[in-house]
Amino acid sequence: MAGSNEIPKVGRVSDPPLPSSPPRAERAGQRPALLIGVVVVAVAGLLWAFPLFHVRPLQASGADGKSAASLAAGAFDPAATALRLWQTDLRAAAQRAPELKNFAAQLRADPAAAGRKFASAAGLGTAYYFVRGSGRVVARDRNQVKIALDGAEATIVALRIGPVFGNAVRDGCGLLEVNAFPGLQEFNALAAELNTLVEKHVIPTVREKADVGARIQFAGCAGAPETVGGPDEPLLVLIPVEASLL
Amino acid sequence: MKQSLPRLFPLTGLLVSLLFAACKPSASTPSAASGAAANNPAKSKRVAVVVSTLNNPWFVVLAETARDRAKELGYDATIFDSQNDPSKESTHFDNLISSGYGAVLFNCTDAEGSIANVRRAKTAGIPVFCMDREIKANDAAMSQILSDNYSGCVALGQYFVEQVGETGKYVELLGIVADTNTWNRSKGFHSVVDRYPGLKMVAQQSAEFDRSKALEVLESILQANADIDAVFCGNDAMAMGAYQALLAAGKASKVKVFGFDGADDVVKAVAEGKIAATVMQFPKTMARTAAENADKFIKGQKEFPQRTPVAVELVTRANVGKFGDYGRKQ
Repeated sequence: MAGSNEIPKVGRVSDPPLPSSPPRAERAGQRPALLIGVVVVAVAGLLWAFPLFHVRPLQASGADGKSAASLAAGAFDPAATALRLWQTDLRAAAQRAPELKNFAAQLRADPAAAGRKFASAAGLGTAYYFVRGSGRVVARDRNQVKIALDGAEATIVALRIGPVFGNAVRDGCGLLEVNAFPGLQEFNALAAELNTLVEKHVIPTVREKADVGARIQFAGCAGAPETVGGPDEPLLVLIPVEASLL
Repeated sequence: MKQSLPRLFPLTGLLVSLLFAACKPSASTPSAASGAAANNPAKSKRVAVVVSTLNNPWFVVLAETARDRAKELGYDATIFDSQNDPSKESTHFDNLISSGYGAVLFNCTDAEGSIANVRRAKTAGIPVFCMDREIKANDAAMSQILSDNYSGCVALGQYFVEQVGETGKYVELLGIVADTNTWNRSKGFHSVVDRYPGLKMVAQQSAEFDRSKALEVLESILQANADIDAVFCGNDAMAMGAYQALLAAGKASKVKVFGFDGADDVVKAVAEGKIAATVMQFPKTMARTAAENADKFIKGQKEFPQRTPVAVELVTRANVGKFGDYGRKQ
């Protein structure tokens, strides 16, 4: 056999397999892996198009630019917000409020026109005045002190000294925008807190010291009336945010 | 171990894909919200009016006014009745999204549960304009036109004290507890009445804004509290149900009933002295404003105040002549 001219066969059984042609059994073993790969790519594509969940930053901005966290109802503290407003912006706004004596005659003559010019409203809501003035106490009862207004002949206004309700201070002061708050419930809670501050810081002084004949200066908010009563009736019933005896 | 590692690759790949997909920008984020309706004139001509219920005349007026104003503005408008059922409301949104409506004028069934529906519509590029009932989100609806329920019930509470006095017993019938209107009204009323310790609330129960439920609930309450002086109801349908219960019990002339809405039958009952007072909301104003906002959006305006409060007015026997037909007489 050693001297034989026989040409050796290529790819004999004893030779190692060629890399480009795996055995049939191994090729069959790779098919499931290929199939899984295709399925994974397909599922990944589907997940990309239709994700099962979204990961978002906690500080994502709300529609009005405020952070989502700050807009959460739980983050809103009506008492603290009201106190901050009371101690800063509201005092400054009271100094800037128009003198009622300057448009009292116009308000009595044409309440609707005066309201359009001097009152303000949130959205399509109720309109309120924010005014200041001074005068002499001419009468008082359990809930009101009536004042003859300086500089406006025969004009009576009233300051409320009983329990304070509603949105007159919140909406009348012109400092607050409903859309800066998480919702109407929180905005309403703020109104109640502002009323509490009025009852705590302003009304006691008026109730205790504003006897008939006393002179007083004030700033306050009142709903814009649709009609006004006779000369003996208060032109406005104000919720005082500032009051001091002169 | 060596053999199991390659088998983990597909699973790992899947998880990585899932995370990448989750982190990609979502179409529902405010910045990604787009006015698809405005970009598709064919869609823009159809407006859906989704209303919480048509089983209450007040909501019929709200829905029909919204539909009619949308039609006046040139749209094909359709009313969908959710029948106070959040699942029906959700199905309506599925349908209107797949049908390619241009805008939704929406009166929700649930202040929190309905947010998801509004977000789905927004993701699909369909703006939602809420009417009368608030959703508790600032970044989902395009605008919300809402009655100032709180101040209305402050005025009603003050009138209640005037009429009932500073001492007495009363019942409160609440509306749907998932609706913020229910609590804005209740809190406005209690902000006044709770200041008078002589006024005792002997029962507070929900009758879900429904006339027949109010009748049943008050009949039951009267069994244990026969000596009440007044009933405060969170809407007019419940006020009429309460009045029927009192009439059947022979107490209609002794017990004062207070409602909220300004429904036509209650305004007439106020004039006749059967109901002590109600608060006029203005459903036509809210519906028209919502429809006009939708029209403005479709025509290109993209910025609206999120919430617009609408004034309400106390209706008593003294001023009832000014009101009728769900608003002020012209």
